[in-house]
Amino acid sequence: MPADVATPMSTAAPRAPRLDPKDLTYKISGGLILLGLAFWLGVNLFHDPAQFFTVAIDGLKNGALYALIALGYTMVYGIIQLINFAHGDLFMLGTMMSAFIITTVFGQKAPSLAGYGAFAVAMIVSMAFCGGLNIGIERFAYRRLRRAPKLAPLITAVGVSFVLQFVGLHWNGSGQRQWQTVLPNTQFNINGVVIDVKTVIIFAVTIPMLLILTWLVTKTKQGRAMRATAQDQDAARLMGINVDRTIAFTFGIGGALAGAAGLMYQQVVGSTAYNLGYQLGLIAFTSAVLGGIGNLAGAVLGGLLIGLIQGLNDGLSYGLGQQWSQSVVFTILILLMVFRPAGLLGKNVTEKV
Amino acid sequence: MTGHKAIEDRSNRRWAIGFTAVAVFLFVLYHWIVPNGPSWLHDFVQGWFSNANTNEMIVYIIMALGLNVVVGYAGLLDLGFVAFWAIGGYVAGWLMSSFLGNFKINIFGNPAPGLEMGIHVTFWWVLLAAGGFCAIWGIIIGAPTLRLKSDYLALVTLGFGEIIPQVFINGQDINGFNLSNGNQGITPIDPIRFFGFRNLGPFDLDYKFVIYAVICAGMVMVSLRLRQGRLGRAWLAIREDELAASMMGVPLMRTKLAAYAVGAFSGGLGGVVFATHINGIFAERFNFSISILILAMVVLGGMGNVWGVMVGAIVLSWINGIGLQQFGNTVNGAFNTNIDFPSFNFLIFGSLLILMMMFRREGFIPEARVRLVMHEHEDDNEEVH
Amino acid sequence: MANALEAHNITVQFGGLVAVNDVSFDVPEGGIVSLIGPNGAGKTTFFNVLTGLYKPTSGSVRLNNQVITGKSPHIIARNGLARTFQNIRLFGLMTAEENVMVAMHSHMRSGIISTLIKTPHQRREEREAHERARELLDYVGIGKYASDYARNLPYGDQRRLEVARALALKPSVLLLDEPTAGMNPQESARFVDFVRKVREDQKVSILLIEHDMSVVMKVSERVTVLDQGQKIAEGSPDEIKTNPRVIEAYLGKSGVEGGH
Repeated sequence: MPADVATPMSTAAPRAPRLDPKDLTYKISGGLILLGLAFWLGVNLFHDPAQFFTVAIDGLKNGALYALIALGYTMVYGIIQLINFAHGDLFMLGTMMSAFIITTVFGQKAPSLAGYGAFAVAMIVSMAFCGGLNIGIERFAYRRLRRAPKLAPLITAVGVSFVLQFVGLHWNGSGQRQWQTVLPNTQFNINGVVIDVKTVIIFAVTIPMLLILTWLVTKTKQGRAMRATAQDQDAARLMGINVDRTIAFTFGIGGALAGAAGLMYQQVVGSTAYNLGYQLGLIAFTSAVLGGIGNLAGAVLGGLLIGLIQGLNDGLSYGLGQQWSQSVVFTILILLMVFRPAGLLGKNVTEKV
Repeated sequence: MTGHKAIEDRSNRRWAIGFTAVAVFLFVLYHWIVPNGPSWLHDFVQGWFSNANTNEMIVYIIMALGLNVVVGYAGLLDLGFVAFWAIGGYVAGWLMSSFLGNFKINIFGNPAPGLEMGIHVTFWWVLLAAGGFCAIWGIIIGAPTLRLKSDYLALVTLGFGEIIPQVFINGQDINGFNLSNGNQGITPIDPIRFFGFRNLGPFDLDYKFVIYAVICAGMVMVSLRLRQGRLGRAWLAIREDELAASMMGVPLMRTKLAAYAVGAFSGGLGGVVFATHINGIFAERFNFSISILILAMVVLGGMGNVWGVMVGAIVLSWINGIGLQQFGNTVNGAFNTNIDFPSFNFLIFGSLLILMMMFRREGFIPEARVRLVMHEHEDDNEEVH
Repeated sequence: MANALEAHNITVQFGGLVAVNDVSFDVPEGGIVSLIGPNGAGKTTFFNVLTGLYKPTSGSVRLNNQVITGKSPHIIARNGLARTFQNIRLFGLMTAEENVMVAMHSHMRSGIISTLIKTPHQRREEREAHERARELLDYVGIGKYASDYARNLPYGDQRRLEVARALALKPSVLLLDEPTAGMNPQESARFVDFVRKVREDQKVSILLIEHDMSVVMKVSERVTVLDQGQKIAEGSPDEIKTNPRVIEAYLGKSGVEGGH
């Protein structure tokens, strides 16, 4: 997926090929960290291979969801260089909309043909709801701040996040709610490696979505407009591109992906909570940064990697355990910022004067 | 001496007098009027403006002034300020309680009878220690990340604000070492010795108020003086245009780090004050919404404006702590409804941030006063020449 | 005459794109020289190399015989290279006076502690900085705006404030990036006189990037032309006016290549 919607960060100028000592220290310590990571994985793999793969696949399942959410962050960042803090909360509202459609409207609580139908309807409604909501947020909160100092839209995004959490709080109540799923509860067991059918379903939904997205960004007129707008808004405008509509379109797509992720989370994990968006949003954002923010393929890669790492940490015998899950993710975020702010697939681009 | 300095000194004197007057009034109110006054007054003050709430308000003012240096002056968005609050609190927990029971150290400390084990250091030294410790953490977290673009910094600070509380929550057993006592927290904290004649326990809220007010006044002075000096100008320049600032000879990294360290220092102070206020440290209190609450205070007051930020801190901490609850009780009582008003916190703070950014980015108490001072000073100059 | 600023064989590459190709250039002490070229010729990139924003792929820059290649912008500024910006970059929500005082940062010493306890040295330093800022504002003719926010100044006066701010660095070389952009002919003409006056009074050498040919021809003692990252001509204004390569660069087909 070579869809590079964006201009990543870092003020680093074109670098001379010389190796300065600072760079070298960074490289060495970065290498040591990777080495430590490899050692940890090796020990665990050796200890109990079946458990290792079970946990890894479970992690990848979460990773796919992170990837869907991360795409929304990365697309918006790519086009207007805004960390859309409220994106995670959009996902949270997506989970609630799904629960509302499947359980409240259609009354489906178990796997059945009607249940799958409800699932499909919920998919459409949730995606449309989150996409439309995201467009509305862009229109009313962010658009007029496009030329304001960076701090302003970022603080606005935090504000939007709070307002959405308020909606979630009143929709869902202050606690966590459990839901019954319409997806089958079957599990495979291949040589001791346990695979949940839901994992398969998540990938069956996510992969086509990513393919459609790739096609949309690389092949369509709207996608070209997106890339042009990401490069240079003024130039794009001069070329006859409707910049406002293109940005709205980007928000819409990002929101729709969050809506899809919301549905799958609600059905697979089976719970909703008003502060879910905050937690998962941050993890997804970390994924986007890991892959190189602004880079679509990077967001997917980052999401899968973070899911994997989190799964391994939470599930393996020699791990820190679940209570350190968040810390592990954020430590990755901080280390990334220090050693490779451009992410795995991102590239340095100079700041315009 | 030019007129500018004279005006500066005069306006500084003016605030000192105003601040002292308000503080003295509040002390007299809580210490004498309320206990001796009619019961309706007692109920009213207890309900709407209790001493405990006022003390908590001061904690928020200290925190907000600290964050104001980072966000308001230097324009660096810090979304994890609560981390410094937590670190400061735990420094108080380590140095002012019997929690670290393997030690028996007493440095001008004031342990309660029967709790002589552990480390006991005098409150004022703990303030410095916590501030310094937080400043070091600020530099550790800031040094590698301040070279990044501002929105990335926001995320790193946020991550830091998530990790630190988690460390304390899970900290009852780090390789067998009990760092934080986990969810049970550390309590009680040593009473503060009040100017040598009284030990301030959990119920001496009025005396504690005096001590907190003094610390708060110190923070106001620090904010104002730094703003008026060389460093303050460099901070604002970075806030306004980082690139232009560097091309005018302002070293970005060092200047930003200074802002970060000063902010963290004040966060540490706030942490110690809060720990003595609630007589303990509890890890689950330090969550993201606190960081946002403090940020909203800075934004509401007009970023960079000390008075505005103080007003913002007072109003929002009041709404958050007591106002919304009381208002809700009153409304629910009057109309026989059952609305959960505190849950509107999210809506209020969220919309506040959005609307402020849209319509009043300079805050509710913006340039006007600054402009006034500046114009006075212009007139003064003419007299001088 | 010695050179205040010398750039040797500067090349800047962005990926495969060569933005500046092997350009050598100098600013003689006390001179006024101009750098011109069509859009995308690499002028701004070259400027950014001089001021330390970009590290050149190869080549070196010397300021007052000290190598400054690859140094941070603030160190280069401290060493005496000051600039203004094509699209004005003042500190909007600071007063005009404070804008000027920011540029004195590197010549002042007070730190956190001395500011907090207001040592006599800190007070004296602040007082002197105020006075100097006032002088500079009066010098560029906007003393009456000293306590107004920079963003509230009229456009032309914002340009003047940028010059005052740059002069507060006590520079030996002053870089002016399209200083007459947005000015009408009368204002531009007045600006030409102003630039000469600044050179005389402040003992600085001046490097000008300019689009307005009438300004360039009037004020410069030497003109250098860049096109597509290459130096294609250098000489007195009269020589440049008649140089066929320059005319081709401006009127020929090559004027719209992107090169930022």
